[in-house]
Amino acid sequence: MIRRLLPAAAALALLAGCSDSPDPATPVGDPTPGTLRVLAGSELADLQPILEEAAEATGVTVKFSFTGTIEGADKVASGEAEKGFDAVWFSSNRYLELVPEAQKRLGTPTKVMSSPVVLGLPAEKVKELGWDTKRVGWAEIAAAAGAQKFTYGMTDPSASNSGFSALVGVAAALSGEGSALDAARINAVAPQLKQFFSAQKLSAGSSGWLTEAFQRRARGEDPGAEVDGLINYESVLLSSPQPLTLVYPSDGVVTADYPLTLLTSATSDAREAHQKLSDHLKSQDVQRKIMETTHRRPATPQVQLDAKFAVRDLVELPFPGSQSAVDGLITTYFDQLRRPSRTLYVLDTSGSMQGDRIDGLRQALTGLTGADESLAGRFSRFHGREQVTLLPFSSSAKPALKYEVPQDDPRPVLDQIRTTATNLDASGGTAIYSSLRGGYDVLRQQIDADPDRFTSIVLMTDGENTGSEDVLDFQLFHQALPQDLRGIPIFPVLFGESATAEMEQVAKMSGGKVFDARSRSLSAAFKEIRGYQ
Amino acid sequence: MKRTLGIGLAVVLLVGVVTAIVLGQGGDTAQLQTVRGVIGSEKLAFFADQRVKDVFAKHGLEVEVDPAGSRQIATTADLDSYDFAFPSSAPAAEKIQRDRKAARTYAPFSSPMVIATFDPIVDLLTKAGVVKSGPGYPTFDVQAYLGLVAQGTRWDQLPGNTSYPARKNLLVTTTDPRDSNSAAMYLAITSFVANGGVVTSADGEARVLPAVSRLFLDQGYTQSSTEGPFEDYLSAGMGKTPLVLAYEAQFVDRVVRGDSSIRPDMKLLYPAPTVLSKHTLVPLRAAGDRVGELLTSDAELGRLAATFGFRTADPRHFDDVVKDLAVPRTIVDVVEPPAHETLERMLEAIAKQY
Repeated sequence: MIRRLLPAAAALALLAGCSDSPDPATPVGDPTPGTLRVLAGSELADLQPILEEAAEATGVTVKFSFTGTIEGADKVASGEAEKGFDAVWFSSNRYLELVPEAQKRLGTPTKVMSSPVVLGLPAEKVKELGWDTKRVGWAEIAAAAGAQKFTYGMTDPSASNSGFSALVGVAAALSGEGSALDAARINAVAPQLKQFFSAQKLSAGSSGWLTEAFQRRARGEDPGAEVDGLINYESVLLSSPQPLTLVYPSDGVVTADYPLTLLTSATSDAREAHQKLSDHLKSQDVQRKIMETTHRRPATPQVQLDAKFAVRDLVELPFPGSQSAVDGLITTYFDQLRRPSRTLYVLDTSGSMQGDRIDGLRQALTGLTGADESLAGRFSRFHGREQVTLLPFSSSAKPALKYEVPQDDPRPVLDQIRTTATNLDASGGTAIYSSLRGGYDVLRQQIDADPDRFTSIVLMTDGENTGSEDVLDFQLFHQALPQDLRGIPIFPVLFGESATAEMEQVAKMSGGKVFDARSRSLSAAFKEIRGYQ
Repeated sequence: MKRTLGIGLAVVLLVGVVTAIVLGQGGDTAQLQTVRGVIGSEKLAFFADQRVKDVFAKHGLEVEVDPAGSRQIATTADLDSYDFAFPSSAPAAEKIQRDRKAARTYAPFSSPMVIATFDPIVDLLTKAGVVKSGPGYPTFDVQAYLGLVAQGTRWDQLPGNTSYPARKNLLVTTTDPRDSNSAAMYLAITSFVANGGVVTSADGEARVLPAVSRLFLDQGYTQSSTEGPFEDYLSAGMGKTPLVLAYEAQFVDRVVRGDSSIRPDMKLLYPAPTVLSKHTLVPLRAAGDRVGELLTSDAELGRLAATFGFRTADPRHFDDVVKDLAVPRTIVDVVEPPAHETLERMLEAIAKQY
């Protein structure tokens, strides 16, 4: 995935003319004839070679800017998308079309290809489960998951479409009535859903990172516990370097159909570009090439399905018909269904954080207590049952502030966190590593009392370590930790004058990931990290 | 077809016409009169066709069209800048005619609502008593279908079903009733059957709503343009859309094109009863009247319309096009849709339940 993403990012920069700091409102520039400015899901990055050929053949160049499904829906609904883009291209328009303000801004869609969301497991695991000789439905899969017969990784449904599709699919299938979901039906199948999600041991904000983390863990390059399989797009699973056997649930799947969709605000130039590009992408040769290189299914009926798609006719599960039903399902997932999270925030409140920076930190934390009312913001708040610990530090670690958000009435606790966040003050030095080390004492206690949680650490600092312990000391400490603590991913946030190389090192040793808040707000970075917690 | 496809943003199909006239026909552009129309989007390909433009040019006309949803044309569109409105259904045309006090209307072509499906589904539904051999063509018994839906029947509950044991409700895939003309036509059919006749009263509306609402609501998410589910039918096949509501013209158009997108196992069923989507032109000014007249009387335009799958005022055109195809010449069990206001009220009542 990394290999595929890098050239794509480079190509984007090249096509965009390498402007140093693009205007966030028009990240891919102003309208230009022969250019289609597209707000897209990041998984479309692998189409770059196809699009480069398309540019040669049609004279239409695509400029991508990537965002998540729900964040994208926010941007379309608010009208922000039409200021800088001609078209949107996500894995599906279903959610967008359920948001009335977004729906009315969508014009002609061209479905370019498709890929169902399915379960991938190693062949021996499939055999062990007895699923190699018969097809199984979601109910059997959920029962096996509940009995911990296998574990899997899945993306965050509010950040990434593959997780979202899996959630809708399993809920629709288990509801058993076969018709579209509503709140009552979701509640009726909550116990089974809980079983299913009890086997989810890895979460991520993007399909790409999920797959990488899965592979690193399988190769032992990452201290996190190994996970048996993945729920992801068929296309991603088929391109996995470790061969996985795909389990296509017999009662149905939810399929991404990648509609390249013009916005109604598009100029006639853009309209023409969209038409030309659509015709080109749907031509049989290009469809065949998409199928061969990206492992997605063709959208043009004349193109024969390749043999690698083991199951051809896939039953499509019904998708909810209203935004409230979908939002309810996602909220229920976070607050009730999935394994709860335990998140530790190690926060730099040293003197250099004074002014805008500490303000930014206060806002970022406050946003997670429900103050952020955007669609994406609502889902990224601290969830019901979540344990949140704030560990501010300067010259030394300050006392850890521990909270547990109740499932049913989260407001009072969220308000307490908000008050704590607003009262953070900046002064003193920057003892990063001794403070981080101290965080493990808190986690050890919490894990001993209640081990079955998604546990992670966010490390936010704006400068060089001034404490007596350095990164090497921390590395030695980390190596000596027992597996359950060593496997906790650390998500360092680059901010201000962060020591980038050290932060990378900390992320790598723990199987975490670095998030950059230097060219965007801390709030945006904290929100993105939610997908990995 | 999408209500949201703003007229102001719509494509203006002017360039092609001008080019053709300059290059070909020997006509004098100065003599061409520009006529502007707002049309249901299903006819966009027809008006964009060069051969169609050439015929109009021969008669001194250059027709510019903006596509829009038929319901939108009838209710929200500003019609002042147009010479004619050409929605895809009679109820929409009826409302425009009344609002604009138009002297007459033209119905140059029509297309019955059909259900496109696959051989294994035909077999299953024949056993279940929904598909019947019919008067020379296979029919889809709407009454029997409503019976299955009322019981919440899933595909895997059909006796002896080994070919499509899907654990989802047996439902025809339609478009969103809030957006699309074809969904409104489907409501016309199903409300007729549920009511035992055309719905004409508030009582009738209230009586049929529970049964017809779930035909839409139980599908959950539906797409807003009729092209969407039909394309899924063609590319994703039986798994995704075992039964899809379509205009007959969509299917015939594909067959005539001969692009092999229609495979041998794909079958067309005619709902019994069905309704015709009557593409009805309402002239708003004299120039628009001329377009209506030509579409109705000009043999070449009729022939061309038939190649796009439309049934024409002179049935010979359509018969010629389908003579080697398994498409019936005449559909016998056709009912009228309810009045525009009744249909709108029922659609709104359904929309409220989402």
